[in-house]
Amino acid sequence: MRGNSILFKTLLLSTSQRNIYKYTKEKKKKGRIITAYIGIFCLYAMLIGYSLATCIGYGKMGLINAVPAICEVTLSTLSFIFTFFKTNGYLFNFKEYDMLMSLPFEAKTIAACKFLYMYVKSLPWYLSISVAMLIGYGVFAHPAGIVYPLWIFLTLVLPLIPMLLAAFAGFIIAKIGSHFKKNNIVQTILTFIFIIFCFSIRYIIDALIKDDKVEQTLETIKNANDKVGSVYLPVKWFKNAILYQGISDVLLLIGVSLILFSVVFHIVGKSYRNINSALTSHEVSRNYKLKAQKKNSVVNAIAFKEFKRMTGSTVYLTNVAMGEVLSVIFGVVTLILGFNKIVAVVTQNAPFDPAILQPAIPFILYFFIGMVASTVCSPSLEGKNYWIVQSLPISKKTLYRGKMLFNMYLTVPFMLFGIICMCISAKVPLINTVLYMILGVALCAFSTTWGCVCGIRFMRLDWENEIEVIKQSAAVAIYMLPNMFAVMGLVVFVVILGMHVDHKIIAIIMIVIASVLAFLSYLRAMALAKRNIK
Amino acid sequence: MLKVQNYSKSYGGETKAADNVTLDVESGDIYGFIGHNGAGKSTTIRAIVGVLDFTEGDIYIDGHSVKDEPLECKKITAYIPDNPDLYENLTGIQYLNFVADVFEISAAEREERIRKYADMFEITEALGDLISSYSHGMKQKVAIISALIHDPKLLVLDEPFVGLDPKATFTLKEIMHEMCGKGTAIFFSTHVLDVAEKLCNKIAIIKKGKIITSGTIEELTHGQSLEEAFLEVYDAGK
Repeated sequence: MRGNSILFKTLLLSTSQRNIYKYTKEKKKKGRIITAYIGIFCLYAMLIGYSLATCIGYGKMGLINAVPAICEVTLSTLSFIFTFFKTNGYLFNFKEYDMLMSLPFEAKTIAACKFLYMYVKSLPWYLSISVAMLIGYGVFAHPAGIVYPLWIFLTLVLPLIPMLLAAFAGFIIAKIGSHFKKNNIVQTILTFIFIIFCFSIRYIIDALIKDDKVEQTLETIKNANDKVGSVYLPVKWFKNAILYQGISDVLLLIGVSLILFSVVFHIVGKSYRNINSALTSHEVSRNYKLKAQKKNSVVNAIAFKEFKRMTGSTVYLTNVAMGEVLSVIFGVVTLILGFNKIVAVVTQNAPFDPAILQPAIPFILYFFIGMVASTVCSPSLEGKNYWIVQSLPISKKTLYRGKMLFNMYLTVPFMLFGIICMCISAKVPLINTVLYMILGVALCAFSTTWGCVCGIRFMRLDWENEIEVIKQSAAVAIYMLPNMFAVMGLVVFVVILGMHVDHKIIAIIMIVIASVLAFLSYLRAMALAKRNIK
Repeated sequence: MLKVQNYSKSYGGETKAADNVTLDVESGDIYGFIGHNGAGKSTTIRAIVGVLDFTEGDIYIDGHSVKDEPLECKKITAYIPDNPDLYENLTGIQYLNFVADVFEISAAEREERIRKYADMFEITEALGDLISSYSHGMKQKVAIISALIHDPKLLVLDEPFVGLDPKATFTLKEIMHEMCGKGTAIFFSTHVLDVAEKLCNKIAIIKKGKIITSGTIEELTHGQSLEEAFLEVYDAGK
């Protein structure tokens, strides 16, 4: 227990921006930390605003009692997904593994502390959502006074079960991967399969438990959450604890979380050294024969370096390429099932003509592809290797052009594939299809250049673990969240506009806007690159 | 103090990174571990300090099995890797306190030892700075101090002299002599044969995962320099 607290405290301190701020002598670094904090607080504010608005929607519809279950489902989903993506890199295959394992800690202590570290680091995000929903719930439901502290207390417990399940899933994947010579590739493939399964499970459950046609979308979501509660018991326990102040439900939630924690880390601890040994060691073949070599342009050489960096890290690859994989699957599924069927499933059979969604096709795919851009994290991912690019006879502009080129190579083919599949399936006229393809490319360019702006502006080389850069950095949060909300808004905007204006006109307007934004972002990235002399 | 018995490690392929390695390091020994790059030195060292899992053979530290009683082994062992990955966003003193906390060193003792070794390595004034601002050599010095803070019975070092300035190299050698005089067993890998020759009383040479020879310096060199003896044995490819 003593070892736990020492290690846990040190893990938190070792990544604490406050500690860096306190001890660094670099004014620029201090400035960057403050800017990053402001950015993150703005994102918390956005999240709180969005959650509050959702609650108000339910309150106005008279469905306020659904909010506890919705809060639980939201937190569980987010904590599960975020933890799963972080497992490889935090629990396994992390940089300071040798140092920690050589100290007198039990393997399960290290694993448990790493898990608790992930939990504490994620809590502010979960609390932002939950407290906002509590406020909304309080305004409309006027619950008993005890509900407020109970809700906040249970918010601290709620993410544990999904996080433990995600960590265990990551453990199984790491364990399977550790038996293979190319464990990195095996882990990546298994991660993709697992995530795709998780994405589709919602529709599988929907299909299994679906009632007859439900007219109201909000009511559908409420019903779906109720049904999820019957399958995933923590939803029911949280809902009952809040609505009826059921002590047994509170105890069940806490008890099951603690028991699951003990069981998971007992199992993980047993194979911990074995898995990490396999993941951190690499067999060498020593049979390379020197063949004729190819010459590349500088920018292409940098793009290739980026490609190798991405494929060399399961965490990086699964985070950056997940959108591309999903876009292919979505495209193929749309081709097979038909555009109208997909629209009916996603919108819960909402009564409208699916053709009105056609102008949103590039944005739907951008929602997959543009949510993460490699340019957001690749500047920081140079980390300790930054000296290599710094000592090479290339300008920073060339370096970032190479990084941007790689993101275009990565995103454009998938974007075009997805658009073509969806347009064929939706029977979009040829000229519109071409325009959507151009718009798709322009959106990729915007994602690339805007990502690069965030990546350079919030560049951080002194990370302990690449997950800090890939999942938790200010650059990623500031790139992703506004992007996500803006795309959601744009989908609604182009659909409404499409009811009154020719789809071709809308596409052309969007192409111009996206291109201008991409060009401005490119100029900004180049200006930042010029100033960037870290 | 350290017994490696028939230890083997493979990474799933046909070739073994360590193949039937057997070593015996006694208290007071300064034992050098020599071999080319990729010969299996680090693989063996990482298994000794409990970082790397292995299935064949066993390793004992002061009678405790690394496999079965890893905590007992780690409590009396200190390890300095070739490229120490320290917590970069801690200050030097925060990191040393972390390690001292882990080994439950009293406040007075830790202060005394940190002062002693930090002064010897001339790093005291830098201990309040973030480790990320340190040079490689300074990080290496902090790693060395953290290894000495609990007065280990077995000190395992992987290429400890890489990155150290001449003064620090001399200081480390002095410390190794001092510790060995107190009965600490020291096992370290190095490429610097001159250092090994002057510092060690015993040497093992590893090639492609196999120990090709081991023994006292006198047994190995037969009046030659260690460099000549090493090349002779290595090229013979025993």
